[in-house]
Amino acid sequence: MKKNRLLDLFTNNRFYKSIFRHGYPDDDIKRSEVVTGNLLLHIQPVKVHKNTIRAGYTLGLGLIAFYLFIILTATGILLMFYYIPSIERAYNDMKDLEFAVSFGIILRNLHRWGAHGMVAFVFLHMCRVFFTGGYKPPREFNWGIGVVLLIITLFLSLTGYLLPWDQLAFWAITIVANLIGTSPPESIMGANLRQLVLGGTIVGQNALIRFYVMHVVVLPLVAAALIGVHFWRIRKDGGISRPAEE
Amino acid sequence: MDKKEEPAIFPKNPNKTYGLMELTKTKSFQIEKGPDNTVTSWPHLFFRELILFMGVFIALMTISLLFNAPLEQEANPSNTPNPAKAPWYFLGLQEMLSWAHPFWGGIFAPTVVVIILMLTPYFDRSQKGVGVWFAPERKIANLLFTIFLVLAVGLIVVGEFFRGPNWQIFWPWNMPSPH
Ligand code: HEM
Repeated sequence: MKKNRLLDLFTNNRFYKSIFRHGYPDDDIKRSEVVTGNLLLHIQPVKVHKNTIRAGYTLGLGLIAFYLFIILTATGILLMFYYIPSIERAYNDMKDLEFAVSFGIILRNLHRWGAHGMVAFVFLHMCRVFFTGGYKPPREFNWGIGVVLLIITLFLSLTGYLLPWDQLAFWAITIVANLIGTSPPESIMGANLRQLVLGGTIVGQNALIRFYVMHVVVLPLVAAALIGVHFWRIRKDGGISRPAEE
Repeated sequence: MDKKEEPAIFPKNPNKTYGLMELTKTKSFQIEKGPDNTVTSWPHLFFRELILFMGVFIALMTISLLFNAPLEQEANPSNTPNPAKAPWYFLGLQEMLSWAHPFWGGIFAPTVVVIILMLTPYFDRSQKGVGVWFAPERKIANLLFTIFLVLAVGLIVVGEFFRGPNWQIFWPWNMPSPH
């Protein structure tokens, strides 16, 4: 292969090689080093089956869900600089994001629409896996992890829904709290569960801080850990499912 | 230190359509194994992943520049909107709440759905049709799942667009404004 002079200038030097430990990946050994020598990439295989990269097979749906999770984490951290989970301040912080913070409204929009998108794409991804039979052995367990991920995604979305502390938030969570209160036997199970979720009998400050902590710490950590297991299992199960070869 | 290019022990012969690619230490013969149909992740997989990320980001950014996230009046426990609605992904549940004791629609039904979803791969184990969209061998499974989808999405659509004050049915274009 003819060497590209410009590429060579950037990649064939001490500095570049001190970071990536290989030159420009123009042969299979270096191509494999791209994967094995990179912390972020090495969770993926060095080689993949052609069916895996066929856009029409996975439609990229699982990956889109993952990307939205990453974008949500990044925008969520930025939002935490401006948002204080107090019933006196939360709503004003949302107004400030809209009118006072530079690009605050875009930050909020990215997070809000991204969250709706993640729920939708996780669901679509599940449909893809079902309609291609991707849950069949040996992938039973990973399908189960997926179902848990779907539930966590819903709870992430729900806990975030309360945080703006507007009418939409307040009454949506009131409905869900009342629903939890109907778990039988209501007087023991339901009432106590509701108390546990809200930290009281109404949606107030205690509920807000509970939802906040779940939303920014507990659920994202659990989701990230399970996504890790999900990806690891994809490899252990032999990569993405594919038609039997003749 | 730089890795020196290994001198080519087996130079490529342009007149041959095959060549010795590499020596491997394996315990079995690699001949007559058939093509393995794989490609290297770099660049085939990673570039597709990168492009998909850019697509997702651009799409989300476009939506975020065009539409603002909703923000209503500040929360007011003494002013109940009519109807008060859960987020759309829970509207199917809220819809079922109105049919019977809330426990059945709100807790029992979703629990059963989750259990059935989790157990499906332990019962539906045949390898026929794996890796193919809507494989004809999987007609029954696909039909059942489609019914589940239509119900789940249908209930959400009813809850979101057809339910008005006092959870009465309205046509979307006749929907009275809340409050
Ligand atoms: C946060 C949520 C989730 C993320 C980020 C995620 C991510 C992924 C990714 C990136 C893949 C690789 C193939 C692809 O892109 O389609 C995958 C495969 C898979 N996912 Fe998910 N997933 C999630 C939720 C789910 C759910 C809800 C289910 C099912 C109930 C599920 C079941 C599976 C299975 C069985 C595979 C292997 C499919 C195959 O081999 O064909 N995942 N997931």
